[in-house]
Amino acid sequence: MNLRHRLRIGALVTHDAADVAPHAEAAGYDLIAATGPDAWTTLSWIAGRTTGIRLLAAGLTVPGHNAAGLAALGHDPAGLAGLAALGHDPAGLAGLAALGHDPAGLAALGQDPAMLARSAASLDLLSGGRLEIALTGEPGVLTEAIEIIRGLHDTARPGPLRHPGPRFRIPGTQRGPEPAHRIPVAIMGPLSDGLIAVADGWLATTPGELRDHGKALDDAAVAAGREPGEIRRLLVVPPDLGQGDLLELVMEHGVDTLLIPVVEAADLGRFAPGELRDAVARLRPHPVPAVFKPASVRAKRHPGIKYDAIPGSLAETAIEPGDPGYRRVRSTYLRGGAPGLVLRPRTVTEVADALAFARAHPHLPFGVRSRGHGISGRSTNDGGLVVSVAALDGIEILDESRRLVRIGPGARWTDVAQALAPYGWAITSGDYGGVGVGGLATAGGIGWLAREHGLTIDKLVAAEMVLADGSTVRVSATENPDLFWAVRGAGANFGIVTSFEFEADEVGDVGFARFAVGADDPAALLVRWGRAIEEAPRDLSGQLILGRPRRGQPNIAQLVAVVDAGDPRTVVDRLQPIAGVGPLYDQNVVLTPYAGIMANASPADHDGHGEPVSRSALVEHLTPEFAEAAARLLDSGAIHWFQIRTVGGAVADVPADATAYAHRSANFSIVVMGADERRLDAAWAGLRDHFDGLYLNFETGRGAAYLNDAFPPATLARLRELKRRYDPGNLFRDNFNIEPGGTR
Amino acid sequence: MTDYGHDLLFGVFVTPTAEPARQAVDAAVAADRAGLDLVTFQDHPYVARFADTWTLMSYVAARTERIRISGNVMSLPMRPPAVLARSHAALDRLTGGRVELGLGAGAFWDGIEGMGQRRLTPGQAVDALDEAIQVIRAVWDAGRPGGVRFDGTYYRADGAKRGPAPAHDMKIWVGAYKPRMLRLVGRAADGVLPSLSYLPGGVDDYAQINRHIDGAATAAGRDPAAVRRLLNINGTFAPTGSGLLDGPPEQWAEELAGMTLEHGISTFILATDDPAVIATYAAEVAPAARELVAAERC
Repeated sequence: MNLRHRLRIGALVTHDAADVAPHAEAAGYDLIAATGPDAWTTLSWIAGRTTGIRLLAAGLTVPGHNAAGLAALGHDPAGLAGLAALGHDPAGLAGLAALGHDPAGLAALGQDPAMLARSAASLDLLSGGRLEIALTGEPGVLTEAIEIIRGLHDTARPGPLRHPGPRFRIPGTQRGPEPAHRIPVAIMGPLSDGLIAVADGWLATTPGELRDHGKALDDAAVAAGREPGEIRRLLVVPPDLGQGDLLELVMEHGVDTLLIPVVEAADLGRFAPGELRDAVARLRPHPVPAVFKPASVRAKRHPGIKYDAIPGSLAETAIEPGDPGYRRVRSTYLRGGAPGLVLRPRTVTEVADALAFARAHPHLPFGVRSRGHGISGRSTNDGGLVVSVAALDGIEILDESRRLVRIGPGARWTDVAQALAPYGWAITSGDYGGVGVGGLATAGGIGWLAREHGLTIDKLVAAEMVLADGSTVRVSATENPDLFWAVRGAGANFGIVTSFEFEADEVGDVGFARFAVGADDPAALLVRWGRAIEEAPRDLSGQLILGRPRRGQPNIAQLVAVVDAGDPRTVVDRLQPIAGVGPLYDQNVVLTPYAGIMANASPADHDGHGEPVSRSALVEHLTPEFAEAAARLLDSGAIHWFQIRTVGGAVADVPADATAYAHRSANFSIVVMGADERRLDAAWAGLRDHFDGLYLNFETGRGAAYLNDAFPPATLARLRELKRRYDPGNLFRDNFNIEPGGTR
Repeated sequence: MTDYGHDLLFGVFVTPTAEPARQAVDAAVAADRAGLDLVTFQDHPYVARFADTWTLMSYVAARTERIRISGNVMSLPMRPPAVLARSHAALDRLTGGRVELGLGAGAFWDGIEGMGQRRLTPGQAVDALDEAIQVIRAVWDAGRPGGVRFDGTYYRADGAKRGPAPAHDMKIWVGAYKPRMLRLVGRAADGVLPSLSYLPGGVDDYAQINRHIDGAATAAGRDPAAVRRLLNINGTFAPTGSGLLDGPPEQWAEELAGMTLEHGISTFILATDDPAVIATYAAEVAPAARELVAAERC
């Protein structure tokens, strides 16, 4: 028998045993299966009480117009022979038994496929893509139900879902919700060739069923143009079997999912999931950890990617172009993309697995994404690989007395701000709550508290990262200090950080102000604003935004300022010089927790299009000469976005050689964006004399010249030496790549 | 002045947004932590941007500790009564009695019909709801011998198994506005749940609602106080008052207490997804309104 799936051990429960689910998860079970008439309610509840275990709704009955026919087939709809044989008679079982000869009850309890589709998508979204379902019913009915479910989940298809029958008639209804992943649909009971052609799994309720129908299932799958291994085999484990019997069933019949009936927590100890999995792994001639995708998905695969070699740990969460959910992960905030594969590790080990896969594809573009807001890093691409660490989003207080916090790279800064707010703490981040922790904390982090508290990286005290060779290291001032130095400004070149440890600052309410001021003479405004900023105490940070002047309209600058003080008088004192830099058209000042400013994150998936063009520069002072040059740039029409953020203050307290981010003396960080790169560069060149480096997170340019602007020579030389040591094969190449073999 | 002496309940009406799924869950958890009594969700299964209400309620039940959970209101045409009865009872048992059954006769019939369910006239929908309440109560009546036998125009059961029984005396709260439906509520339901924004004459329309319910209840030999009077409300917190439920929390408290004392409305369900609004409602409106009502009642 050809075993094509990693063995999974599941606990099969009814409503009365719902409470064992968290114990099953803790005991290393892969899956929890709920059955009985309240299976859906039970499983939804269990989803809320567990975090990572797979969820199977087993034995959902889909009645057709001929519901009584099912009973006539003499089939045990939920496969509960095992449970009943344990000598218990949980309430759920009695209900199930009644189904067989209670057509009225059956109709009432049965699943309408359209409602089931919406419920399933909902539970899949709520549970983070953990759901599977196993349906039972007459084969023709199930085939049609699966078609309806798939059709409703396929939101990429235009127009409403219409289904003419014969068993179910749907005149026309909106498609969606789209589940978080392709929900595997297993079948139970009587089989037909048509049903086998569309099922993802087969749930046998007894070993006898496996023996009687296994071969026919294989043959029908092959006849339908599928590989037999495409259809998972799930088995309800009878009470009288030992581990040896199970291994035999697994090896002989290719069972990949064992469902052990569990009535009380003690039943979880009947088998040790880890031991069973190891025993099967030892018996196998070859490791075969693939997830099978239907032909429609495989048809969209890219020739250069070894999809069948995706490590088993990542196969279930990986998304390829034909998968549902691809829409959600293909693009980033400002960049449209069409990667050939997005790997989504959930643990440090899985990150290492993802890197091994990336090492095997050296010819492909390779992006690393925390939340996809960055513009310098190519965290999406065309046809290449992406490793998304969004699932590593934990936020944990390590030591309250030291304000020590551990945060995963996939957390968003709004989540961080909200988690720290109850403690009266904050970590300075960027200006937008939807940005991921990883991209900021490996590059710099110029935010609303920069002048008072420094860069985000200045709050970093340690990190754990996976290096190019898959090894895991901890970096801090005393552990791998060279990497600790490198990760604070050039981290993207050295590994994937899987957790950051920050020392948060005590930050109470802050003043948050927005002013619209006249900018008919932008050069004069820039000089006045720059002076006001440099003269302000450090508790004030902010930014200035100018657009392209429009003929016939007054030119307006947007000024934003944050005062790290909860006292209204101090806030007003600090803001007055800022508000006075030009004629004031509009103002809005509020006192808010830092988390309130960060609560601006859109919950929507990124859907960027095209390729952004941005240029970054760090500048010490906004001199009249700089301001004149900037005014000419604004006038050129080559840019549509011009923003200055404040740095200096605490940022400049850190010695330039203390971190890979080295341009510490600048007081201002400038970013411009345009549509046409050549035109933008021509206009931008007029400002060059005033620059003192650049901040890589705001720069889309690539190549040696940009590296030399991002890092002073001594910093770059040291980075290059470390790159040769830690990533000689240049695996991490998507974000300000320091080529190990380069010389400058 | 009508007051049925019910204890006051304060709840929220949270949008069951499908994506991001955590949005609705976070709001419900915030309401639970803030100490509100009730979190409720609308049920429109033909709207694809909403999560399935029942799935969401079951998930939320697992993530909350003490708040009660209800549909506001479950769409009867999309959900067979026996399924409603059994699933609500099952979740009630899992939560130790935190689930109530908010029930509606159906709205947006185009959406209902588009998913393949039958379209009913308003009169038929009232009759179907009447039958459904009987089926639901019969299923819950687990102690009674024999199966559920019901031969209605819209629902039939031929000896269907009874149970499970809910863990507590589960209430059926019905979304209702018109006289026939209100009379049904007075005769057979445990609460009436209209939305303030659908009352053309504002809260004073509640006098008519009460009149129909109380008359029908009395005629059926029930105490009108057996029917709780609930109300979905919308509002805005603002430093200065500029309208009904548009002003500072103390103004809200006075207005809601006034509704309790004038019309006997004892459950106020605020439509909001905003954790800050939920916190203010729980901390500043609910206790103040309770105090005002208690002071008047004694």
